[in-house]
Amino acid sequence: MKILVALKRVADPDNANKVKIPPSGDRIDTAGLEWKPNPFDEYALEAALRLTEDGKAPKARAGEVVVVTFGPKETEQTLRAALATGADRAIRVDVTDDKLDGALVARALKALVEREKPDVVLMGKQAVDGDSNQVGQSLAELLDWPMATFAATIQEEQGALLVGREVDGGVAVLRVRLPAVVTVDLRIVAPTSVYSLKTARTHKYNDGVRFAALPAIMASKKKPLAEVKLADLTADSGLKVQYHGFEPPPARKAGIKVKDVADLVARLKNEAKVL
Amino acid sequence: MSNAPNLQQNRYKADLREVRFLLFEQFKLDQILGQGPFEAWGPDEVQMVVDEAYKFSCEVLGPLNAVGDRTGCRLEGGQVYTPPGFKEAWNKLYEAGWMAVSAEPEYGGQGGPFTLHITIQEFMSGANSAFIMYPGLAFGAAEVIQLFGTDAQKEHYLRTMYGGKWGGTMCLTEPQAGSDVGSSRTTAKKLPDGKYAIRGTKIFISGGDHDCAENIVHLVLARVDNAPAGTKGLSLFIVPKVRTNADGSLGEANDVTVGAIEHKMGINGSATCVLNFGENDGCVGELVGTVENQGMSQMFRMMNGARISVGLQGVAVASAAYLNALEYARDRKQGPSINNWKDATAPRVAIVEHPDVRRMLLDMKSRVEGIRALIIKLTRHFDMTRVLQGKDDEQALYHQGQVDLLVPLVKAYGSDQGFRVCETAIQTYGGAGYIKDYPVEQYCRDAKVFSIYEGTNHIQAMDLVGRKLGQRGGANLQGFLGDVAAFVKANEKHPVLGKAVKELGEAQEAVAGTAMRLLGWFQMGKMPMVPLSANRFLEMMSETAVAWLLLDAAKIALDAQEKLPAGDESASERAFYEGKKHTALYYALNVLPHVRLSAEILGREDSSALEISTESFATV
Ligand SMILES: Cc1cc2nc3c(=O)[nH]c(=O)nc-3n(C[C@H](O)[C@H](O)[C@H](O)COP(=O)(O)OP(=O)(O)OC[C@H]3O[C@@H](n4cnc5c(N)ncnc54)[C@H](O)[C@@H]3O)c2cc1C
Ligand SMILES: Cc1cc2nc3c(=O)[nH]c(=O)nc-3n(C[C@H](O)[C@H](O)[C@H](O)COP(=O)(O)OP(=O)(O)OC[C@H]3O[C@@H](n4cnc5c(N)ncnc54)[C@H](O)[C@@H]3O)c2cc1C
Repeated sequence: MKILVALKRVADPDNANKVKIPPSGDRIDTAGLEWKPNPFDEYALEAALRLTEDGKAPKARAGEVVVVTFGPKETEQTLRAALATGADRAIRVDVTDDKLDGALVARALKALVEREKPDVVLMGKQAVDGDSNQVGQSLAELLDWPMATFAATIQEEQGALLVGREVDGGVAVLRVRLPAVVTVDLRIVAPTSVYSLKTARTHKYNDGVRFAALPAIMASKKKPLAEVKLADLTADSGLKVQYHGFEPPPARKAGIKVKDVADLVARLKNEAKVL
Repeated sequence: MSNAPNLQQNRYKADLREVRFLLFEQFKLDQILGQGPFEAWGPDEVQMVVDEAYKFSCEVLGPLNAVGDRTGCRLEGGQVYTPPGFKEAWNKLYEAGWMAVSAEPEYGGQGGPFTLHITIQEFMSGANSAFIMYPGLAFGAAEVIQLFGTDAQKEHYLRTMYGGKWGGTMCLTEPQAGSDVGSSRTTAKKLPDGKYAIRGTKIFISGGDHDCAENIVHLVLARVDNAPAGTKGLSLFIVPKVRTNADGSLGEANDVTVGAIEHKMGINGSATCVLNFGENDGCVGELVGTVENQGMSQMFRMMNGARISVGLQGVAVASAAYLNALEYARDRKQGPSINNWKDATAPRVAIVEHPDVRRMLLDMKSRVEGIRALIIKLTRHFDMTRVLQGKDDEQALYHQGQVDLLVPLVKAYGSDQGFRVCETAIQTYGGAGYIKDYPVEQYCRDAKVFSIYEGTNHIQAMDLVGRKLGQRGGANLQGFLGDVAAFVKANEKHPVLGKAVKELGEAQEAVAGTAMRLLGWFQMGKMPMVPLSANRFLEMMSETAVAWLLLDAAKIALDAQEKLPAGDESASERAFYEGKKHTALYYALNVLPHVRLSAEILGREDSSALEISTESFATV
C-alpha cells in the first residue's frame, strides 16, 4: 500500500504565550517561535506506518509512505524527522505560510496525488494553529474520492479500509473503497487502533506515536527529499481566505463565586447563554 | 492548591534556544562535525537528536518523575521492583538509542560528540533524575570495560550494555569504606580457571538491583589475596547478577543478593541497595583486563564520566526548577508594583514584576546557564582530544588537561549550586513551593545527594588542589588562567561589558595568587590549611570560570544582536540576546566579587576551625 501523509508544522501549542501579534495587527509574528509538527499530522504518520508494516517487525516497510509539507526551507526539519520515524520519501512544496489557505493546499495536494498515485491520503483532522478542519474534506471532494474523517480506528482489508469514525456518542464504522482520503483523530494512536493485513489482531502497539530512533535519524539524511514549486502543482495560487486583521484573545476575566446551583444554572442560561 | 497538577503530568521543560546558542553560537560544534571521528554528523543530525531526545524526555521520562518519587522502589522476594512505568521507559529509551549517541559504532553506538551526549543527558536528568541513574551507571560501567577490558570482554559485554539488554553498576562503597575507598574489605580469591571468587558487602549501590534489564553487570572493587593495603591493592571485577554463557545467554544465579534498599530524602525512584556478594561462596567474577591491582585507576576513569554526569544532574534539575519558578512568577499575582507603593488600591501585579523576585530569577538563570556552559566547555575539550588524537598530540594534551582540571569544578560547583538554585526556586514560589502539588520541593530533595555521591564535594576540592593543580607541572592551571587572561585583555575596553571584564581580571589574579598560597602551605608544612581552604578555592575557581563563560556568551550575543534586522520580527531574538547580556553582568557584578573577598579571607589564614577542640563544639 502506498500512503501519502500531509504534514504541517505549527507553533508549539505548549508555548502559546510566545505567539505575538505586532502593533500593526496585520499578521502573526512568527519570529522566535518553536515549531513542532501538528500533533494530528504526527498521528496520521503513525497510522500510515502502522498500515505499511507488520507490527511485530516495524522496521521493514510493506509499501511506501511519502510525506509532504508546504513551507519554507526550514520545514525540511519536520520532514527529516518524519523520515527518521520511518517514512520513505519526502516532498516539500516551497511556499510560505502567509501565501496559503486550506483551499489552495487542497488544490495543490490534488495535483500531487495525481502524480504520486497513492492508495490512501492520510492527514490530521485539523491543524492546531488555525483549527480549520477542511483540507482533508476539500481534497476528497476535488479528487472525487471516498472519505472518512475523524478516524479513531483503521483496519486494512483487501482494497478497502474499515474506518471507525469519532461521532457524538460513539464510533461509527465505515468501509471506504481505495483510493480514499482519511483524516485521523486522537485515538488513532491507541495500542489497538490500526491494523494492516500483516499485523496480527493480537498485537498491541505502544500508546502514542513512535519516536525517531537514533540510527534512523542518522540514516534519514540518505532518504530522498524533493522540492516542488507551488506553481508546478497549481496555476491558481489565489486565496479564498482574506485576513483583515489579527488580535489576541481577550485576557481571561476573574471568576466569580455562585451562590448555589440555582444561581449557577441561571447564570449559565442568562449570562453565558450556554444552556 | 486550586490548579494542582496531577501526578503524571510532565513538569520538565528546557529552553531549546539556549541549547542552540551553546552548541552552535558559543561552542561552535559545527567546527568539528562532518570530519574525522564525527564524519557522519552534521548540524542537522545534531539538531534532530536534540529535538527528539527532548521530546522523549518530556513525554516518557517527565511523567514518571513525581510517580517515582511517591512510589519509590520495593524489595520483594530478593528482587527490586522499580516504580510503575520505569521498565517501559527503559525499553523505550534503548529502542530510541539515546544512550549510545557517543558510543563506538563498533559496539552499537553512533560515535557522536560527547557534547551532544551530555546535552541530551541533561534533558533526561532534568526530566527524571532518579530514572537516569539506571542507564547512566550502565553506560559508565560499559565505558570502563571498553577502556580496560580484554577483547573478549568487550565482545561479550559492550553491545548488550550499550543496548540496554543488561544494566550495570559501580560498587565501591562499604560500611567502613565511604570516602576512604582504600579501606575496602571485599575479597577476590583466584580460582583455577583464572576467574575469582568474590566475597563481601557493598552498600549504597545505585541500581544495585532492578527489574528493567534481564541482567546486571556489577563492577566491583575488591582485594586479591596478598595485595597491598589501601587503594593500591584494589582490583576491579566484572560480577554479573546472573552468570552468562559465551553466546550471551543466561546461566545460573551468581550469588549476588540484595540485603536491603535504603529509604531516602530524594531520588526515590532510584534503588539504593545493600549488595552481598558470595554469601554462599557462589559468586564468581572476572578481572577487568588482565592485570591485578589496577582497580582504582580504572575506576577513576569511570568516575570522570560519572562526576560530569553528577554535576550535570545538578544543573539539569536546577534548570527545571528555574523554568518552573519563572512560569509561576509570571502567573502569580501578589501585591502592587513598587512604583505604586503608596496606593492601596493599585492593581495587583504578577510577582515577576517585584524587584526581589527578579533578583532571584536572574540569580538562578545566571548560575544555571553559567554552569551549563562550563559543562559544555568541558565536553567540547573532550571532543577535541578525539579530533586531535594522532594529529596534534600536544594540543590534544592541552585539551585533556582542561578536561581533568574542570571535572572537580563541574561536579562540585554544579551540584552545590544546583541544590541552591532549587532552594531559591522554592523561595520564589512562596508557600506553594513548599507544597507537593508543585515540582520544586522534589527537585530540591532530589538534588541534595549530588554533592555527596561520586565522592563528596570536599573530596572533589581535594582532587582539585591535591592532584589537578600540580598536574603536568601546573600546565593545566596555567592553561586555564592564561585563557581567562587572554579574554580579559581582549575585552576589558568593551563598551558594555568592560567593567565586568575588569572584575573578571581581578578574580583571575585572586585565583592565581591563592593557588600560590596553597602551594606555600604545602611547602611550609601548614598542611591542615589546605583541606580547610580547598572548598573555598574550588568555589573561587568555579565562579571565575562561570563568569568568564557568561561574559563570553554576552559578547557573542551582543555581536549577534547588532546583526539582527530592525523591526519587530526580531523582537524575540533580541530579547534572548539581551538576556545573555544581563545574565553576565549580574553574575560578574554580584557573584564574582566573592572571589576577591575569598582570596582576602584565605590570606588571613584564620584557623579557628582547626584550633577549636572537639569538646568545645557543644557540651552534649
Ligand atoms: C543515594 C546514594 C547513592 C549512592 N550510589 C553509590 C553507588 O552507586 N556506588 C557506590 O559505590 N557508592 C554509592 N554511594 C555512596 C557514596 O559514594 C558515598 O556516600 C560517598 O562516597 C561518601 O561516603 P560516606 O557516605 O561513607 O561518607 P563519609 O566518607 O563517612 O563522609 C562523611 C563526611 O566526612 C567527610 N570526609 C570523609 N573522609 C574525609 C577525609 N579524608 N578528609 C576530609 N573529609 C572527609 C566527607 O566529605 C563527608 O562530609 C551512594 C550514596 C548515596 C547516598
Ligand atoms: C507549611 C506552611 C505553613 C503555614 N502556616 C500558616 C499559618 O499558620 N497561618 C497563616 O496565615 N499562613 C500560613 N502559611 C502561609 C505563609 O505565611 C505564606 O505562604 C507566606 O506568607 C507567603 O505567601 P504566599 O505563599 O502566598 O506567597 P506569595 O505572597 O505569592 O509570594 C511568592 C513570592 O513572591 C514574593 N512577593 C510577594 N509579594 C511581594 C511584593 N509585594 N514584593 C516583593 N516580593 C513579593 C515573595 O517573597 C515570594 O518570593 C503557611 C505556609 C506554609 C507553606
